Amino acid sequence: MPSNDHYVIIGNGPAGNHAADVLRKNDPDARITLLSNESMLFYYKHKLPALIKGTIGDTELSVKGARDYKEKNIRLRLGQEVERIDPRENRIYLKHMEIMSYTKLLIASGASPRVLPLVSNFAKHLKLFSSFTDALNQIGDIRNGRRYLVLGGDLVSFKFVRMLKSMGKEVDCLLYPDAFWPFTLTKDMAEAVNKSLTKDGIRVLSNDGLKSMNQTCEGIDVVTDNGYTATFDSVYAFLGMVPNISFALGSGIDTDRGILVNDHLKTNFNNVYAAGDCAQIYNPDIKSYWLSVGWKNAAVQGAVAAENLLGAGYVITPSPKSILSVEGFTVDTSWWENFD
Amino acid sequence: MSRLDLVVEICGSAGEGTISAGEILSRFMSEEGYDIMSFDSYPAEIRGFGKCVAHTRISRGGVLTPGKFADVLIALNDIHSIGQLSVLKEKGVLIYDNKPARYHLEDQSVVGWLEPGMTPYGIPLTELSIKASGNARARNMVALGAFSALFGIDRDAFTESIRRRYGKKQQAVIDSNVNSFLEGYAWTLENVRKMDSFRFDGMSAEVKRDQLIINGNEATAMGALAAGLHLYAGYPITPATKIMEIMSKELPKRGGIFLQTEDEISSIAHVIGAGFAGERAMTGTSGPGFCLMSEFTGLAVMAEVPAVIVDSQRGGPSTGMPTKHEQSDLNIALYGGSGDSPRVVIAPTCVEECYQAAVLALYIAEKYQTLVILLLDFFLSNSIKNMDPPTAPETKYLNAHIVPDAEALSDYKRFRITENGISPRTIPGTEGGMFFATGLEHDERGKPVYDTVSHTRMTEKRFRKHKGIATEIPAPEVSGYEGDADIGVVAWGSSAGAAREAVEYANEKGIKAACFSSLFISPFPESELKLFSKRCRKILVPEMNYSGQFANMIARYLERPMERLNLVTGLPMASEDILKKIEEIEYL
Ligand SMILES: Cc1cc2nc3c(=O)[nH]c(=O)nc-3n(C[C@H](O)[C@H](O)[C@H](O)COP(=O)(O)OP(=O)(O)OC[C@H]3O[C@@H](n4cnc5c(N)ncnc54)[C@H](O)[C@@H]3O)c2cc1C
Repeated sequence: MPSNDHYVIIGNGPAGNHAADVLRKNDPDARITLLSNESMLFYYKHKLPALIKGTIGDTELSVKGARDYKEKNIRLRLGQEVERIDPRENRIYLKHMEIMSYTKLLIASGASPRVLPLVSNFAKHLKLFSSFTDALNQIGDIRNGRRYLVLGGDLVSFKFVRMLKSMGKEVDCLLYPDAFWPFTLTKDMAEAVNKSLTKDGIRVLSNDGLKSMNQTCEGIDVVTDNGYTATFDSVYAFLGMVPNISFALGSGIDTDRGILVNDHLKTNFNNVYAAGDCAQIYNPDIKSYWLSVGWKNAAVQGAVAAENLLGAGYVITPSPKSILSVEGFTVDTSWWENFD
Repeated sequence: MSRLDLVVEICGSAGEGTISAGEILSRFMSEEGYDIMSFDSYPAEIRGFGKCVAHTRISRGGVLTPGKFADVLIALNDIHSIGQLSVLKEKGVLIYDNKPARYHLEDQSVVGWLEPGMTPYGIPLTELSIKASGNARARNMVALGAFSALFGIDRDAFTESIRRRYGKKQQAVIDSNVNSFLEGYAWTLENVRKMDSFRFDGMSAEVKRDQLIINGNEATAMGALAAGLHLYAGYPITPATKIMEIMSKELPKRGGIFLQTEDEISSIAHVIGAGFAGERAMTGTSGPGFCLMSEFTGLAVMAEVPAVIVDSQRGGPSTGMPTKHEQSDLNIALYGGSGDSPRVVIAPTCVEECYQAAVLALYIAEKYQTLVILLLDFFLSNSIKNMDPPTAPETKYLNAHIVPDAEALSDYKRFRITENGISPRTIPGTEGGMFFATGLEHDERGKPVYDTVSHTRMTEKRFRKHKGIATEIPAPEVSGYEGDADIGVVAWGSSAGAAREAVEYANEKGIKAACFSSLFISPFPESELKLFSKRCRKILVPEMNYSGQFANMIARYLERPMERLNLVTGLPMASEDILKKIEEIEYL
């Protein structure tokens, strides 16, 4: 019997796309809609620095083209933002003022850069970077500027710093080892990073903090706690990510920092699941929740959530660990896909 | 963009200011020195809730067609605009209202149907319109403001243009439009990040304030008035009504006569009457009206009375599709009516030619005392172009009435057999110039006769006029590849613009293609066509009718196989369709 289900997936990242493929494979007749507030097709985030640098174009950035969705009869709605959801009525309210309904919903809305309290006084001067839209917005400034300060607190910051350097820019990096994301940088790790970056001509400011920032016609004048002063074209903050869940707040779906799900990735509503960077997943062993991070996790979780939406009942287990080496240190990780 | 060529569509419901927004945009771009061509579509009903689309192509370097696909779609009405997405190009841009007065139900929002690769810009059109003008009626102006901000159009120049457009209205109306435009402009500049690559890179240096922005009907009416039209009799019918509207205003001002008659039979009868009385007269209609007139067309030919009929073709047969385009009245124009009835058929290929065609129609009708049919079509009647104001017709075109001299009047023979077929003509009341005029075959004085010799000589005389006319017709327009071509496209009427453009594109792709078209269909520049045909390996005849009426006509001159492209889509011929056919022929 043809399925009457309408699966709606919020998010066009690895979690959303893997889920859509699994759903289509197992339910050939169902309506599947994939929503994203970005207009770009599914793309590799780790390639964004190369896009800014100009070594690749839009085509190399995207994971797959529009034809793939057409062939699989998956309706791709790009550039459309979910403003709120009503899980009791199975409804989604889109920002452009359209009401959609679903029978089963997967939230795979990812995460966005966070601004930690330790820099929140300077928020208006900080630039954030995590998406194609950000890249488009900033490409001109980055290509034309000369000197940058990067507040380094996560793995993406290192990629960004390297990109700037390879474009011939002058780069200072203010490291926040204690606030590092998604794990704390040990003293040894911080030293290794310092060494690795310094070797390549990047000025690393350790054990320091921001004292003041002022926009002048020359750029942004920065003074650090240790008295270091310099003028930068832009200051970028990479201090970790926070799940994109504002549309779910107050909807009745349980949330904390992310969307709270059990180890089947199910929320407190039977027909609503969450996967990827937006999900905060219960681990029965430690009786606590963990936030999902990284491409690999998102992809696996997307597929598992889809199976479960179809009724499979799989339990999510972390992917096998592998060694990740970054800027002179190594970590044992099951979540960060080492694309390099 | 190296060569600017942008097609903008505004889609809304009747009454939402869709067409006027398109007109304001076209006017402004024209003033700024761009070439524009617009083609609006609207519901057949006079006013209602139907879909309206204002389609404008803005270019630098001439435009021959309005373009089949749009680069930008401005959606004033979501439901109507969903259907219009099918003409948005792959990388097209959508400007839509992201804060309408109430929520759309699922799938009733235009942005929900956007294809990947297209760029949406959500602008709170309703909200900004209310803010700027107190109501939602100025959403169209907010949208134009947003469009201008997105595409780098000079805000102040556009504002001035709007002020000029509404100059005679109350200050409140001007303010509401200007403020809404500015609100849309400012909001977009502040809130929207440009994601597409289209941009007007600075305005043209050559600002042209005095350009005319007119459609084919207006150009025809202007031409006829410039040529000294004295009487217009007509009955309203889409798509020719606009000509009548203009005449109703303009003729009385100039001491002429405008008549709305009870039907089309009466219209042509009045025209023949006025022509008989020595005045330049014209009527305008469409296919269904032309059918009614066809009986009288024979009278104009037989009694040798000047008469001009404008037939703006639409989808047929019968009442057919009043607001759809077609080129299917060629047969009736050429052959309609009884007997061997030679008539002149002129088919302008663009708005500018409509003016010239109307002047020539009245001139030839008068000089050769015959019937002239001016074939427009829905597209030509309604497509709007900017053009320099035309120069006044030469005096030779203003008075072509050949009157008998004193000697001829001493033994006046109204239908004297002459070498060129033209017999000097008196107007009623001329002393010594009395004659019979009926629909019957006649002798040289007009007296009915049915003998073999008279009928033969009179028929020959009537046909002989066409030889003279043939010497007066403008040279055919030949474009594209100049040497021996692989494909020669022979087009007529408004399809000729699309054919020329398709040939240009084909040439750019390395295909040796050329194009031939003639303003006159009857008489036709037969020898020029034969020369053209000789240098073309294949001939393609594109036209907007099913049976290939024009192809059938030229087949008798060319006597060679021809490729045909016959479409009855109700839409204007698109260069894309002809190019596709050219490529099919070339690569098959
Ligand atoms: C520059 C950069 C480099 C990276 N490099 C690596 C790497 O090397 N290795 C690695 O493993 N990971 C890397 N990551 C992280 C990795 O890309 C993410 O962990 C992964 O993309 C998360 O996938 P996801 O599907 O959960 O969410 P995302 O990929 O973030 O996708 C979320 C989707 O939801 C949509 N969305 C959000 N809110 C809404 C809304 N309200 N309405 C509609 N749609 C919405 C977004 O538009 C997006 O389509 C990198 C990230 C960045 C920014």
